Amino acid sequence: MSGTLGVARTHLVTALRERVTLFWFLVFPVFLLVLLSAVFGRIGEQGGVQFEITVIDLDRGQPREFSDLVLGLFSEMAAPPQEGGEPLFLLTLPPADADPVRFLDEERRQLQRGGRAAVVVIPDGFSRAVTARLGGLASGTGDAADDAAKLRIHYSQGTVASEMAAAIIEQMLAGVDREILRRFGALDEERAIRTETTWVGGGDAETSYIDFLLPGIILMGFFTNGLFGIPGSILFARDRRVLRRYWVTPLGVPRYLLGLSIGHLALCALQFGLIFGIGRFALGASVSFRSPAAVAFLALAAATFTALGFLIASLARTGHAGMAIANVLNMPLMFLSGLFFPIAGLPAALVAIIRANPLTYLGEGLRAAVGVEAGTTSTLLLVGVPLLWIAVSSAIAVRKLRWDVAR
Amino acid sequence: MRAFPALCGAELRLLLRDRAQLFFTLIFPLLFILIFGFLMADVGEVSARLGVYVSPEANGDLLVSVVEESGARSVQMFDLPALLRHAVEAQDVDFGMEWDGTTLRSSYHANRVTENATYQQIAQAVASTLELRRQELDPVLVSERYDESERQEIRWFNIMVPGIIAFSILSAGLFAVSGHVAAMKERGTLTRLLVTPMPAVALLAAIAVVRTGVVFVSTLITLFIAWGAFGLYFSVNWIQYVVFVIGSTLGMMGLGTVIVLVVRRASSAANVANILAMVMLFLSGVYFPLEFLPPALRALSQALPLRHMAEAMRYATGVHDMSVTHFWVTTLALAALGLLLLPVLAAYVVRGERR
Repeated sequence: MSGTLGVARTHLVTALRERVTLFWFLVFPVFLLVLLSAVFGRIGEQGGVQFEITVIDLDRGQPREFSDLVLGLFSEMAAPPQEGGEPLFLLTLPPADADPVRFLDEERRQLQRGGRAAVVVIPDGFSRAVTARLGGLASGTGDAADDAAKLRIHYSQGTVASEMAAAIIEQMLAGVDREILRRFGALDEERAIRTETTWVGGGDAETSYIDFLLPGIILMGFFTNGLFGIPGSILFARDRRVLRRYWVTPLGVPRYLLGLSIGHLALCALQFGLIFGIGRFALGASVSFRSPAAVAFLALAAATFTALGFLIASLARTGHAGMAIANVLNMPLMFLSGLFFPIAGLPAALVAIIRANPLTYLGEGLRAAVGVEAGTTSTLLLVGVPLLWIAVSSAIAVRKLRWDVAR
Repeated sequence: MRAFPALCGAELRLLLRDRAQLFFTLIFPLLFILIFGFLMADVGEVSARLGVYVSPEANGDLLVSVVEESGARSVQMFDLPALLRHAVEAQDVDFGMEWDGTTLRSSYHANRVTENATYQQIAQAVASTLELRRQELDPVLVSERYDESERQEIRWFNIMVPGIIAFSILSAGLFAVSGHVAAMKERGTLTRLLVTPMPAVALLAAIAVVRTGVVFVSTLITLFIAWGAFGLYFSVNWIQYVVFVIGSTLGMMGLGTVIVLVVRRASSAANVANILAMVMLFLSGVYFPLEFLPPALRALSQALPLRHMAEAMRYATGVHDMSVTHFWVTTLALAALGLLLLPVLAAYVVRGERR
């Protein structure tokens, strides 16, 4: 037993001593967790995204009530929010002595080059036209007055930030429009539409991004650990003729494998503890892995990826070849599993990979077990497909895995 | 004079024999394109597949006309609210709207955490317009959009492809030095080459020529697959493209030189290069727009060469604008970095021979 535990300890200590292993198994999953939650966890929230926009006021007429209202609205959205974070807009206004037409041309060029997300122009006569419209005078003023009443939103189609900024500006204006109509008594509040929101496919509310992401990142950590760690340990030890020294001891292959697996599971436990701890205490995740189903899926995931590691070790001739195979499998299996992106509406060939990918089932099963997804796949498949991978990988490894360098 | 082509030939044969290297140079970017092409086809579109249920007592025509104007990609009608919610859950539609004449209920999938903000935006726009139409009012604050892009309609994936190409240039340049040259030095191959009359700079020039050639072919294949398989739009300025591929490959070889000077062991240098490349990939606006990054990381990205390479490549392929001066300053700065560090790299190579 001490020999087995010695192998386990060696595997764990070697992994922790190697800085590159530490990076890929521990630092990189944490980096991704923090980065993705910082990027996608804040979408739709105030202070989550910031857009550089320009507002040019060309309205020289009187009254200026509505031009000032629009200008004030943008200034308000460019002020730092009270609850902290950055304002929605980083606002540029023309300098007092600038020629507005030349300034507009320059800002449009900035927009084309990605330096601005949007340029908003308040046309001359805007306020007067809005007042006229409100007073029911618009019908007699003709097209020119209609054009003057339109705010111009210059944006760049195809640039995500620009399209988002344009949509947000339109939404803000719609809100102000409603408020103006209400104040002038045109909008009947009694007949206002009630809006309600229903969430399906999960709990009673939208899953927070960090709760959605955390199980995926933990599985990603286990996956890279199994895919690279197991074949790396076996193949490089075989290449350096370290393994053959084990075989002259009473240890034997089964006990070596047991020790390696225990060491690997200890590393998985360490990974889980670190990623979960940071997710829970630094990033505010509320998801719990305490349920028996969650623990079972974590164990099944670690076992599946360990078996996949043995499969790679049995297919590769050298350590470097093993790493190359692991690299080839790593990205397609990771991305074609639904861990990070939705997988609806993909072509049949990719759907076939997704259906055969054990990560798909482990991801869905673990998310369902921790309560962030109401899984649509049967438990039989969620457990059966990873078990099938374990069986097939182990069978191939038993037949093919060589324990010494080829003579 | 014949020695240089011979060196180039030997270098090319070495590269072609190294299946792993060949995979990462030629196949890996394609894999990226094929996977992300399907996964990210809709990213950045303020659009959705919308499911609608209208109860018999409500005026459905008004809602449908508003929904159709809202920019929804498709509208599917349902006979029962339960069927609509099931479709939302199964992701057959992106979100649902139920209208009974007084209440507009929107249903979203709780786990579509990155997409729901867009759907909620569309739902809010529909509710505002429906409100006005129902009360026979016109908005008083009317706005009109003006597209300044001067390009065909471009999706986020179209912008992502030049970023992936820039990343493959970065990898090829970095690993040419921190992987290939460092490994040659560690294995002692350089010792044999440097006892010939060939100067170290000639060997490095041969490596640069072959790597640049191969990465150029790789970028072309990626570009043509993206264009052919996904119908993406590119308007390539070939002079800028060629000069940029050469300049940026040299620049990344320069960065590789810095790595091998700092990290002594070949395997460690390759690992450091790998880690640096991966970190840059996530912080340079290749996967998601830079505007999504927190302010500190956005500022950090200014210092990352991949960000500037991705922007310059987008410009050279005609999917994004920048000033011509900005493009040439970026390209020449990268080339200068490579050329200035070439003698330093040569000294590193020779120092290896003397040990």
